[in-house]
Amino acid sequence: MIEAINLSKQFERTVKQGRKSHKEEFLAVDQISLKAEPGEIVGILGPNGAGKTTLLRMLGMLMTPTSGQVRLMDREGNFIDDITQKKGLIGYLSGNTKLYPRFSIREYLLFLGDLYGYPKKEGIARTEEMIRVLAMEKFADNRIEKLSTGQVQRASIARCLMADPQIYILDEPTLGLDILSADAIIRFMEEQKEKGKTVLYSTHYLEEAQILCNRIYMIFQGRIVAEGTPLTIMEKTGTGSLRQAFHSIFEGVSQQGEGQGE
Amino acid sequence: MGKTWTLVKKEIFDILRDKKTLVIMVAVPILLYPAIIIGMVLVMNFMMQSREGESYTAAYGNEYRAEALRFQEVYEENQEELDIQLTFQEVPEAEKEAVKDSYDAWIHFMTDGQRVHIEVEYTSTDPNSSYAENALQELADMYCKELLSEKLDEKGLTEDFLYPVTYEAKDSVTVSESAGMSIGGSIGMMLVVTIMLGAFYPAIDVTTGEKERGTLETLLTLPVTNFQMIMSKYLAVSLFACITAVLSLLSLGGSVLFLLGSALAGASEEILHMEPAVFIGWIPILLLVVIVTALLVTAFSMCFCVFAKSFKEANNYITPVMLVVMFASMTAMIPSIQLDGRTALIPIVNVSLLIKQVLAQQMELTLAGVTIGINFCYSVLIIWVLAKMYNSENILFHDGFQSFRLFEKRSEIKKGTIPGTGDLLLSVVVLLLLILYLGTAVSVRSTFGGTLVNQFLILLVPLSVVWYMKSDVKSLFSLKIPSGKSALGGLLLYIGTFLFMLVVTAALTRILPESTQNVEQAFEEILNQPFILIVLVMTIMPAVGEEIFFRGFLFGGLRNRHGVFWGILLSSLIFGAFHMSIVKLLPTAMLGACFAYIGYRSGSIYIGMFLHFFNNLISMAVSKYPEQLGRFLSFLVKKELAGRDLIFMLVIGGLSGALGLILLKKERRDRNP
Repeated sequence: MIEAINLSKQFERTVKQGRKSHKEEFLAVDQISLKAEPGEIVGILGPNGAGKTTLLRMLGMLMTPTSGQVRLMDREGNFIDDITQKKGLIGYLSGNTKLYPRFSIREYLLFLGDLYGYPKKEGIARTEEMIRVLAMEKFADNRIEKLSTGQVQRASIARCLMADPQIYILDEPTLGLDILSADAIIRFMEEQKEKGKTVLYSTHYLEEAQILCNRIYMIFQGRIVAEGTPLTIMEKTGTGSLRQAFHSIFEGVSQQGEGQGE
Repeated sequence: MGKTWTLVKKEIFDILRDKKTLVIMVAVPILLYPAIIIGMVLVMNFMMQSREGESYTAAYGNEYRAEALRFQEVYEENQEELDIQLTFQEVPEAEKEAVKDSYDAWIHFMTDGQRVHIEVEYTSTDPNSSYAENALQELADMYCKELLSEKLDEKGLTEDFLYPVTYEAKDSVTVSESAGMSIGGSIGMMLVVTIMLGAFYPAIDVTTGEKERGTLETLLTLPVTNFQMIMSKYLAVSLFACITAVLSLLSLGGSVLFLLGSALAGASEEILHMEPAVFIGWIPILLLVVIVTALLVTAFSMCFCVFAKSFKEANNYITPVMLVVMFASMTAMIPSIQLDGRTALIPIVNVSLLIKQVLAQQMELTLAGVTIGINFCYSVLIIWVLAKMYNSENILFHDGFQSFRLFEKRSEIKKGTIPGTGDLLLSVVVLLLLILYLGTAVSVRSTFGGTLVNQFLILLVPLSVVWYMKSDVKSLFSLKIPSGKSALGGLLLYIGTFLFMLVVTAALTRILPESTQNVEQAFEEILNQPFILIVLVMTIMPAVGEEIFFRGFLFGGLRNRHGVFWGILLSSLIFGAFHMSIVKLLPTAMLGACFAYIGYRSGSIYIGMFLHFFNNLISMAVSKYPEQLGRFLSFLVKKELAGRDLIFMLVIGGLSGALGLILLKKERRDRNP
């Protein structure tokens, strides 16, 4: 289980007005509370710049929140305090989590095994298992810089799986992938859900989210503007698909925003 | 520990997989240095050899033929002693202008019967002509001697008549010592430079490279602390810096020995006289120095690399760093600069000087220990800063210049900005440089003037930074009238600290005997000034300036970013280091910590200012009127403290300090219920 309580993150940006410019602070994530339970896939939707990545980075312990907290529960149902331990429970995957190009997949996984504290033999066994499960035998000893996008994507999944985490946080995992690779990712998320893991993921592909997600949070300008199952969201907005619901929600919100701004 | 080790292994593995790094770190030292050195010598040898046996022609007019023929005779008699061959040609004076250019030199002989005057026309820009001139000069000396001994023979005299005194100097320095001295200065620089070369590329690779390749975010998802992350990177890079340095040293030493061996194949007896034991004795010390230097240089270069977004940018940052370090390491080449209590505190410079000392076999163990220790401390300090910086999301996810607000346009800086760690460190460095150059330049003419300039600079730097950043001076500098209770607490704490300081100073002077002669001389000039002027420049100005810089600006800024503990520790250590003396470092730092704590508890800088003024007043008074003061407070003036004095001071100091602490602690509670 992963839970965000009143999570906020403040950044600074330069505002240019003609030749003059000044700095101003703004909230990329503004008092967001959310929760994802074991055995469900939770989707985070929103336009570019809504704060999805910042939110997921805070949930993944990569960024410290300006205020609020993230609570994590381990396998036994205990809350964890230590950040390093929390990281050990999370498998985090985004477009920016690249792998060391000069390593081979096997070397990389062995290094991870060491780091996650597997004894030597178990580390090797786990590495071989990952290579087998993801069908990477043919290129497991090639340097990662020499691999194709799809192969790298499989290696990245292996990286996430290596520690057997309880919670998966995936930031636009299917972005820019071909249909086969994207399907592999989707299958991977469904498998994890069936295994009783918690999956939290952000995407721009609304059709994908509609099928896949148990629950959805839509965010805009750092705030949650809609939440619920895909079905309840469509019912609330009186639309037939998540895409239409998305449009109706964001049109409403931006008009409201402009109205307030005047 | 286990995780750090796994990470270190990963970093080493990653660096080793990069061919470019390997080339720079291994191929360059092993192949390039010997190639350059041996190649250079071979070319020089070749040039020398090609000159040997070469023949040059010199022409002379037919006017003073007898002298010219005599000159040629001298040449023929001494031909073996000259490196080159000369041919003489007689040309009638009338044809001279027409054929002048076809000869390497033109000789005019003149004589009045008593004395022969030889004039040589040559072209200094033409190497052939220049060589001929050199040979002719040598020949002229021989000619002179020949004539001289003829004349002496005529009178029945010997050479003793002309040279009744002979002089010979015998150097007590052994060959190995003088060789050590002459190469010692440059070895230090080479060592530092090779360490830098070894550290640069991996340093950029593990910091900026990781950012550029997009693997940093992956690294952040792993269950390791930021400290483990930065520490492992640091250790891996230092290791490579060490390896490069050792390889370079070996290949440099090897090629130098090879050359000496081949060049002095006949006369190598002397070289062989450098006992091997001496060499072996150097090795552990040099290795220790290499390691410490590698730690420091690596830390320093990584500090700059973490800011860079790309390789190119990292290179831009590191070039000036390299220049500064190179310049610092070159100071050892200046013969008059030696390792002493002062220079041992300056990083890089002290390493170069220590190597010079070691090679000249004049090493002092205390100073060597201080050098190694202080560089280690600097490294730890820089690593701490580095770890702090690496924690910052701004460096990991953004441009990375958040802790350097000073590089932003002033119009973009918000009102009330507090200087970041980078700004503070930069200010310290700038101030230090200004004092070293401007202050020293003035104090060469007048110590008093130098002190005045320094005090002015200490005030100027923080005020300009604070102006640029539009900081809230009142809260940053703690400009608040203190309560009576905290003033009393401060005074008591100061008395305690002061007594402890005296004890520590007494103990330190015993362990580290420092030459106080220079200091006393400089002081004399100051003490000759009227007392009122001394009070102004030596007590009031430092009290105001140093308090504003160290307690207001530095402690205020550091406390804001890193908390009170680190704020006090760092600001007081820097305060101690600013006094440029090993003996003073610790006591001054204690005093700084005391003032910083008082400022923190009371919320006012004024108590510290007053106590600082009082403190300097006492030490001025002790210097100017030692006898009068000695009558009342004997422990202030005594050079050696007796056991009874010590116990008295420790007890009184402890009591007073404890009482002061209690009062100050209460003060805080009263103010913030």
